Amino acid sequence: MIRLTLSLGLILVAGSVPALAHHSFAAEYDETKPIKVTGTITKVEWTNPHVWYYVDVKGDDGKIVNYAFSAGAPGQLMRRGIMKKALEIGATISVEGFKAKDGSTNGFGAKVTYPDGRMVFTAGRPDDPKAP
Amino acid sequence: MKKITMGLVLVTVALLAAAVLAPAAYAQSGGAAAMPAIPRTAEGKPDFNGTFQWPTPLAGSERGRGSATIFDRKNFAPLKPGGEAFLEPRTGDPRHDEPRDFCMPAGFPDAMLSGNAMQFFQTKNYLTIVHEFQRMTRIVPLDGRPHHTDLEPTFFGDPVGHWEGDTLVIETNGFRRWTLDEYYYTNPKEYRMHSDAMVTTERLKWKDKDSISYVLTIDDPKIFTRPWSQEFEIKAKPEWDKVGLFEYVCEENNRCPGGKCEGK
Repeated sequence: MIRLTLSLGLILVAGSVPALAHHSFAAEYDETKPIKVTGTITKVEWTNPHVWYYVDVKGDDGKIVNYAFSAGAPGQLMRRGIMKKALEIGATISVEGFKAKDGSTNGFGAKVTYPDGRMVFTAGRPDDPKAP
Repeated sequence: MKKITMGLVLVTVALLAAAVLAPAAYAQSGGAAAMPAIPRTAEGKPDFNGTFQWPTPLAGSERGRGSATIFDRKNFAPLKPGGEAFLEPRTGDPRHDEPRDFCMPAGFPDAMLSGNAMQFFQTKNYLTIVHEFQRMTRIVPLDGRPHHTDLEPTFFGDPVGHWEGDTLVIETNGFRRWTLDEYYYTNPKEYRMHSDAMVTTERLKWKDKDSISYVLTIDDPKIFTRPWSQEFEIKAKPEWDKVGLFEYVCEENNRCPGGKCEGK
């Protein structure tokens, strides 16, 4: 089922679809600080105004750090065929996005890549993934 | 005799060719034959019922970053002296600079441009526009009533609509000073606001059965020397009708008001 859902999402992201709409990217995130981490999903908040997903990432020192990534609104993702099942707790994912301005471990989660290479854009503009 | 026969054949061929080609030429010249079939109500008015994409810029217009639509600055009329204060009024206080961050409404025209689906409900006397974004709603009377004269300014203003042929014209006044468009998504150094003197005119007309021409005119005499307009396209999304609009309760989990994220 997850494979079907993700396939649908991958098809749909080819079109013009929304990114953030609730508020400005610039208020919270720093486009000069891109981030890419790989870890395990620990929690998912499929809520408005933004989906949040949390990822445990093992640092170079072996310590686990929990990152929180903000995505689009649930409706925006679902309209693209990306359902909550795309972010299953315990799954390993790589997240590309941007760090929060406040220096915390919060971030803007633009693109999620799965171990088999499939990817979905949880925010960002699919025709320009680097654009918030 | 042979010559006469050949002449008749040539004339017949010429007439047939003219009969076949004339409608095409007429259509290319924009004649009545070029009128596209558009959705219509039982009364014969253009029918805007349905689910739509937000207005998107025409080719060549400034698009901005992200998906939310912005006005193309090239379309702006010259500013009046002091008009810059409405377009770059940032103070550093996020409650002023980005009130949407605190789940305040986008208002009009910002909600229309926010990059979210919208659904139109049309009756003889009303057009109601529901935005998926914050489930914001505009109710536009079409019964010929005048604007209110005694209301305090509001986020969405006081709209009234009327028909000009197949074009639905919506004129709105009574706005409070608020966000003009989504430019803050694009350029954090410039946050555009309109004044409480803004009057907007929207002109909606089906271009074909799949898309609406949406021309928005901004008349804000505190900022601009004259009204100015920009045309957008609104695409019908009948496939979105099947799922409808999703719920959007901004207060549900607004974790980062003002850029300061709380809790995990």
